[in-house]
This record gives sequence, C-alpha cells and structure tokens, in this order.
Amino acid sequence: MDGAYAGAGSLMELPLLSLRLSASYPGKPGVLKDVRLELNRGEVLGLVGPSGCGKSTLALAILKLLYLKRGRAEGFIHFNGLDLMALKERTMRELRGSEIALVLQSPMSALNPALRIGVQLEEAWKVHRRSTRRECRRAVTETLENVSLPADQSFLRRYPAELSVGQAQRVLIGMAVLHRPPLLIADEPTSALDIITQAEILELFSMLSRTMGIGVLYISHDLFSVAAISQRVAVMDQGEIVECRRTADLFTDPGRAYTRKLIAALPVTPQFRELQQAVGEWPA
Amino acid sequence: MMWVRRAAMAFLVAVFAASLLARWIAPDSYAHQFRDLPDAAPSTQHWLGTDDLGRDRFSRLLYGTHISLLLAPAAALVSSGLAALIGGAAGFAGGWMESCVMAATDLFLSLPWLFLLITVRAFLPLNVSPIASVAITFALLGCLGWAAAARVICADARALCNSDIVLLARASGSSGFRLLRRHIIPNLMPVLSAQFWISIPVFILTEANLGILGLGVAEPLPSWGSLLRELESFSAFSAQPWLFAPLILLVVTVSCFHLAMGNQEAWA
Amino acid sequence: MKRPALFALMLTGFCGALLAGAAAAAQPGSQLRFSLNSEPKTLNPLLVDDDASETIRYLTGGVLARLNRVTQQLQPELATAWKVNRAGDAISFTLRRNVRFSDGTPFSAADVAYTIHRLMDSAIHSPTGDSFRSGKGKVETRVAGADQISIKFPAPIVGLDKLFDQVAILSAQSPKGKMAVLGPYYVAENKAGSYLLLRRNPNYWKRDSAGRQLPYIDSIRLDVEQNRDIEMLRLERGEIDFIDSVSAENYDRLAARAPKMVYDAGVSMDAEQMWFNEVPNAPPPDYKKAWFTSVRFRRAISESINRADLARVVFHGHAQPAVSWISPANRVWFDASLRPHPFDPNSALRLLAEDGFSLRNGALYDRGGRAVEFSLITNAGNRSRESMAAMIQQDLAGIGIRLNVVTLDFPSLLERITRSYDYESCLLGLVNNDLDPDAQMNVWLSSGKNHIWNPNQKTPATAWEAEIDRLMRAQAATIDGKKRKQEIDEVQELVWREEPFIYLVNKDALVAVSTNLHNVHPVALAPQVYWNIDQLWMGPTRGRDR
Repeated sequence: MDGAYAGAGSLMELPLLSLRLSASYPGKPGVLKDVRLELNRGEVLGLVGPSGCGKSTLALAILKLLYLKRGRAEGFIHFNGLDLMALKERTMRELRGSEIALVLQSPMSALNPALRIGVQLEEAWKVHRRSTRRECRRAVTETLENVSLPADQSFLRRYPAELSVGQAQRVLIGMAVLHRPPLLIADEPTSALDIITQAEILELFSMLSRTMGIGVLYISHDLFSVAAISQRVAVMDQGEIVECRRTADLFTDPGRAYTRKLIAALPVTPQFRELQQAVGEWPA
Repeated sequence: MMWVRRAAMAFLVAVFAASLLARWIAPDSYAHQFRDLPDAAPSTQHWLGTDDLGRDRFSRLLYGTHISLLLAPAAALVSSGLAALIGGAAGFAGGWMESCVMAATDLFLSLPWLFLLITVRAFLPLNVSPIASVAITFALLGCLGWAAAARVICADARALCNSDIVLLARASGSSGFRLLRRHIIPNLMPVLSAQFWISIPVFILTEANLGILGLGVAEPLPSWGSLLRELESFSAFSAQPWLFAPLILLVVTVSCFHLAMGNQEAWA
Repeated sequence: MKRPALFALMLTGFCGALLAGAAAAAQPGSQLRFSLNSEPKTLNPLLVDDDASETIRYLTGGVLARLNRVTQQLQPELATAWKVNRAGDAISFTLRRNVRFSDGTPFSAADVAYTIHRLMDSAIHSPTGDSFRSGKGKVETRVAGADQISIKFPAPIVGLDKLFDQVAILSAQSPKGKMAVLGPYYVAENKAGSYLLLRRNPNYWKRDSAGRQLPYIDSIRLDVEQNRDIEMLRLERGEIDFIDSVSAENYDRLAARAPKMVYDAGVSMDAEQMWFNEVPNAPPPDYKKAWFTSVRFRRAISESINRADLARVVFHGHAQPAVSWISPANRVWFDASLRPHPFDPNSALRLLAEDGFSLRNGALYDRGGRAVEFSLITNAGNRSRESMAAMIQQDLAGIGIRLNVVTLDFPSLLERITRSYDYESCLLGLVNNDLDPDAQMNVWLSSGKNHIWNPNQKTPATAWEAEIDRLMRAQAATIDGKKRKQEIDEVQELVWREEPFIYLVNKDALVAVSTNLHNVHPVALAPQVYWNIDQLWMGPTRGRDR
C-alpha cells in the first residue's frame, strides 16, 4: 500500500518530504529504527504512537536539531528537492522557520516570557527577512489575522504570561506560519489544551493547510485528534513505523495489533465522515 | 508588603542623596582634625561628636556612606558582569567546558579570601592616593566576587539552553548572537539582577571586614569599614551610644537593599 | 604558724610596712591571678626568648644578682658580693650560704658552675647565653669552696655583671626532669594553652624585716588570654588582679570609674619612630632617595610633626615627645642634655628651601619641579599607630607634602623593610627591654642587619655613620663606665642631629591593678607590676598606697 501510494505520487510530483532515518542518543540506541516517511505538499500526515516511541525525536531529526539533545541521526531527508543531511548548518538555519516550521506542545514554556508578543513575532520575522518596519508590521498583522487573533497594539504589547493558553498556542502557530513554510511540524500541539480549545486549534491547522497549502506533520499520541485532520496516519511504536495508511482505511481495517489496540482504547469509534465534516471539507 | 518596599526604596534614595550631597551637607571636612576636641560627645557643632583624632563624625559618616554606597554597586556590577560572562558561557557551552569552569569556580570559592585579599593588597604599589586605594579595594572585591553568582547563572543558563524557548528559537532559525541577545540574556536578567543586589551589601560588609584589619580604605578617607573600626574595642563604647550610628546605618541600609531586592525577585 | 602572727601584732603600732607583711601572713591560701598574652614557649630558663617564658623565669628563677627595677642598679640576691676584673672578661661571686632549692637540695658554687656551662654549651643554643658570647674560646669556671666562684670569659664583655639578671641558677644535683628552682615560686601545674599554676617555694631563702619567710602570696595562677579586651573585662570583673600594659583609652576609661586601680608608672622604654628608606639601590626613584638621604629633608619632616599633639591626642597625654634612641626611662644611659626637635613648620620650610624645595599653591615641589609625595607604611591593626600616621599626614599637609598612609600585615611589612626595600618611609615602635645600649649594637653598626634605614653596608655610606660605627665599637671595648657613657652620649647626639630615625614619642607605662593587691609599686621597666613579687600580698580593698 505504502509503495502503491508512493508510486502514484511520483506520477504527479515528488513528495515534499521523503525520509529514511535511524537515530540514537548516547547510551540509548535505536530510538528511530529505519523510519521511512513521505509527505506530500499540502497534505496533513498524522503521526501517532505512545509516549517515548520516538515521535519528538523524528521532529527534531527533520529539523536537524537532534544535536541539541546530543542525539545522532543517519539516513536521508529529502525536502523540497534538497538533501537536508548534506546541508551545512548555515543553510539549514536558513530553512528552519522559513521552510520548515515547528509548533511545540506547551506554548507557555515555548514562548519567551521576557519578550512582548509583538517583539517575539517581529523577531521571528527578522531572522529571515531584511525588510522595513512597515513590511514587518504587515506580516505580523497578517499572520495574527490568519490565526484569528487581534492585531492591535494592546495585544502586541502583552507578555506571554498575560495570554490564555489557547491564545498562546495561536501565537505560536502564527509564528510558525509567518513565513508561509511548505512544511509545518506540529509536535503534540493540542495535548496541553482543554477540549474546546483543542477543537479550535485542530480546525485552525486544517484551515491553514487548506488555504496556504502547507504540509503538516501532525504528531500526537491522541488518535482521535489525529484522525480529525489527517488524510493519512502513520502509526509508530518503539522507534518503528508499524503502519501508514489513509485515515479511513486505518479505522475500518486496522492492520496491526498495536493499531487495533489504539482504536479499541478510544471511547467511541469515530464516524469518519462526520468527523471530517465537523472539522471542514476535504478538498480531495 | 508594597509599602515596606516603597519605604525601603525611599530610605535608600534619601541616604544616597545625602551622601552624594556630602560636600554641601557635611558641616566639616572629613579629614580636618579638631585636635583640641578629640573624642567629643555630640554637640550642636558636632552632631555625632568627634572621633579619636577630633574629626567630625557626622561629616565622616556622610563621606563614608558616599564612598561605600558608590563603590559597592560599581563592584557589584563588575562581579555580576563577570559572573554572567563566565557562568553564562559555561552554561551555554555545556559539556566538558561547563564541568571545567564549575570545577574552577568551586576551587575559587574554597580559597581563603581574606588572606588572598591581604596579600594582593600588600603587593599593590604604595604611592596611591586614598581615593585610588579605595577604588582598587572595591575593584578587587568586584573581580573576586563573581564565583558564587557564576554558579547560579551557569545552572540557569543550562536550564534555559535545554528549554523549549531556546528550542523554538533555534527551530525558527535563530542562532548565535541573536539567540543570546533576544532569548538568553533577557531571560537571565532577573537572576542576574538578583545577584547584583545581593552582592552590594556583601561587598559593603567585606570592605568593613578589610577595614577592621586595617586593609580597606586608606587614611584619611572614611568608609563604612573604617568607621566601624571604632567599634572594635567592644569594651570601650558602652558609654557612648552615638558610636553606633555607622553600624545602625549599615544594618538599616543593608536591610533596605534586601527589601528592595525582594522587589526585584517578585519582578523575576 | 602562730608565733609570727603574734609577733606581728605586737609590732602593729610601730611600723606600717611590717603590718603589711603581717596582714599577708595571716592569709594562707591567697592566690594572685593574671594573664599571659601568649603561651610560654619554654619552661627551661636557658631557652627563654619570649615574654611569657620570661615571666615564668622571673617568678621561678633565682639569680645571683637582680637589677632593681626602681633604682636600675644591681642588687645582691644569691650572691652577696661580686667583682668584675679590670679587663672586663672575668667576674667572681661570693655566694649566700644555707640556701636550698625548691626540692631541698643545697645550693653551692657547683650549681653556678653547672649553670654557666649549660648556658654556654653551643649545643643548647641559649638566647640568654648569646649575650655572653663576646669572642671565640671556652668559658672557664673556678670553684673555690662552696661559696666562691669565678668565671673567666674569652673576651671582655661590657656590662658583664648586669647580664646575670637573666641567668636563673639550675641545680646540678636534682633529677633533671624536676625543675628545682631558687626563686620565690615553682611551677606546680602546666595545662598547655590554658593556664599555669605556680606555688610558693617552701625553701625560698628571703625573709622580710620581721623575719617571716617570703613570698606572702601562696600561689599564682596564670591564664593564657590573647585578647586584650577580654583581659580588661576580666580585670573589671575581678577575675584577674592586674594588667601590666593597658592602652591609653582603657586607662582613661578605668580611671574615670576606679581611679585607685590605675597607675601611670611614667615614661617607658618603648619608642615610636619613623624613618626613610636610604638603601642606595632600593626601588624608589632616585629623586626621592635624594630627598631621603638629605639630613635637611629629614630634619624638616621631623620639625613639621607636632609631637606634643601626638602624645596628647593619640596617647591621651600618657606619652611624651621622644628625643633619642635611649628612653628617658633608662636613667643610666639617657643623654639628658638632648631636647626634642620643636614643632616649627616655618623652620622646616627654611630647611627645605636650602635643598631647593619650594612651596607653591599649598604644595611643595622639589628642585626638579616634582610634587613632594611619599608613602608611609605601618602595620595594620595597631590603632594608635594608624592614628599617629593620620596625624602626621595632616601635619605634613601643612608644609605641602602629600603623605600616603599604607597599612600592611606584619609579614608583608617585614618583607618590604628587610628584604625588598620597596618602601619609602615606615612608622614602627621599638620595644626594648635591655637597659644596656650595647644590646642595640646591630641597629647602630652600619654593617648591622637591623641598621634598618640602610642595612648591611660594606663601608659606611656617610661620615656620620662611620663615626657612629667607631663610637659603638669603642664603647663595646670600654670597661670604664664613665667613658662608655660619654661615647654613648655622643652617638645619641649624632642620631639626634642626623635623624636616621625620627623619634616621635615615648609611651608611658600604664598599668591597672586590683585594689586587693597590696604593696604595689609599678615601674616603667618590665615586669612593671610584679617586679617585687615576693613582697606583694593580697588583702581586703586597699586605699591607694602610692
């Protein structure tokens, strides 16, 4: 199935991201075991798995930031026609934030508490663009509108501690899509949120993916939220991708024992169509 | 508690102002010896009496406050700066570099400071003016006082480097100087400023200790240290309560620094 | 025990002094307590080199002749008579008979001979013996009967007889472990670092005029107490009976509360002095060394210091302007014709003008137009010395000189004045307990290592130093007392004129004594209070018996 889909993709165009990775930490080998993954432009790919199965490691590995945790990755990452593993750190730095963006789980610990929201967004802009003040303002305003946040001065002058968690996560997402990157990696972006906010953020992701054509690698341990927005779901367990299928297929015909266990653990098996309608129409 | 902090700040400002205006407020020069009036009790002419050489105590207290309160913050600035540089670099670099720097810091902390200061002071040139001598003393204190603060800052820098803030900043493409200026330094500022406020009273007290050993500020310049020396023969002052004035001022000022510092921590 | 007391009662009406003795005799078990400021380094009288050990030696050792601390003359003790030969290299003693050591063994000339041989034994390294070492060769003793001994030294020794004040006679027969003594007390207990207990020597030979055996006081407890303030508090609480050296401040404070407790015993042997570094190749720049080596400059500094103010303000009047390297307390050797340099800034400026210095806008400049500024080092932690430095600073500012006072810890100070010579001027005190000026030989000889302003010279740097060398060597070879005095006076006059040391003040000896201690007559020489230990007695509160 995996192969069939890749074959179909290659007829149309190359996938946005295609990787094959193994990763390890000092004294902890095999965190990722020959993980293969492909993600197309504008596609939302869910990545589910239990805590500690290597999901976050994969996110960092794609950004080539694994060294921060003293980890090492081997294999290849083809992104947008580039071989990331062969890139120098300097070039990689230019890609981070502008081509590949990251959204983290807890917005409160990820936002810099010492900087005002406006300054933080401007900072994220200035990292990659040399532009006038006005352009910078406009980009910030635009991205805040995109994530449905007010762009007035009183909001921009707030510190992260003065926001609600939902607002903060929107700021974080706004920051991520500021440069309209082709790929957004969201690492458990909703697990710190209450159920209503969760739904709103999920909707935001799918909306952004639709309107901007951003490919999203949506990482979560929560199959329910993954199912809500992903076209395909990859299931990961102990450093391996055990299954990668269209979302609907996964629920109707779970192939692996682990996937079955995951689905069985849900309180209600989602009616796949209804769920998709609740979140919004799929273009496909 | 807010009014306590305000009162502390107000007191500090008043003391600072009075000491800065010493030249105009002080009734006499700090060095002039009224040799016919040594050890005088307080009077309308000498509000706190005179010391054993007949120098006006009130004027000496004003000038001494001027010196201690100007130089202690300067020394604190130097030591906090060094602590930020050394601790920050170690915490930022991590790994063996952090271990090395922290081992060196531990060693530095375990040295017998008083003796080293005495030795260092003894090696300095003899012909320095009293002002230069007191400046050197505080500069030494500043240069030597970074270690404890560096430990704290290193730990904080380490934690910060492992935090989501820095991870996100890096994932957004920030690095190097930009990361330092925008993300690391602003987040280390609260702990840094706390260290700064803590070290001010510490330096004032250290200078007082050096003064008791006769190694702080050179004659005829007064400092809190040299003023406190009058209390060293503890059997001699029970009948002269006004001798406690510098001690009371020191204790109250240091307490006020702590209250003001509490303010800083709340902000952090 | 009853008979002497009765005897004393009978005499009551006749003689107050005898009453004093009798009253003491009526109180067995009395104890005198005072503090040592450090632990005695040795109890062996031959090895004494520190004050605390000297105290023990003074209280326990019996000597052939004792220097009377009041008259400053030698008086008989274990020797009833002595004679120094004309050459000054031999002395013969006639010894007291029927004297026994504390352990009961009899005292004879053999004990003196034994003591002298031990004293001069080069293997023992006795500091006391060093003062007898005038030349190479052996010391010979000749015992002629139990009470006659003569001692011959290889070379003449000036002031030979007075040196025996320091020689405690050892017992030749007693077991070596037990220190048998001839003095008024013996060491009964010694708790290292804490206290010593001395008990009355039951065989002490001396008796008072009423025939009672001395000393009166039964025991002496000596506590080691380094902190002078605590010592003072203990005196005030009545835990100790006297302090033989109190500061002027403490003196005044105690005088206000208990005037009967304090004594100003008059000018002491201690002098405070300053000097300039005159070492030719020392680190200070040449132009400064040119100032320092000019006698007019030194004299000008001397005349611009107000010595009377120093004595009055720093020492609360318990000091007097100093004149010479010999204190007026030293009655025999002080040159009474000398007067202190007067405080006269105008005269100082005239002297400086002769050397090309000029005063402009309140600042003094030398011939080369350089502002006159120098540093004065002194030891840290000595309040009165720091106060003196501050006053000198003020005085010198009066003639346009900027003085930088630097206090250093003592080892660094010594390093600078004796090794690196990296200093400009120094303020220190000199403690001298030896009355004979010969003891200061290594200060005055230009080749001496304590010739501190310019030590270890191969040949004298100046004519006056050469002259001092000549005079000091001459006096060391002069046995005739009068001629020696003339030579020493000449040295004092030279030093007064040239001022290599600028003498500032001689401090008074200030003591504080409990009112329970009687027959106290404090003197300026050490030991100020207990020099007549065998005559002191404890009793009910006294009036002041001055």
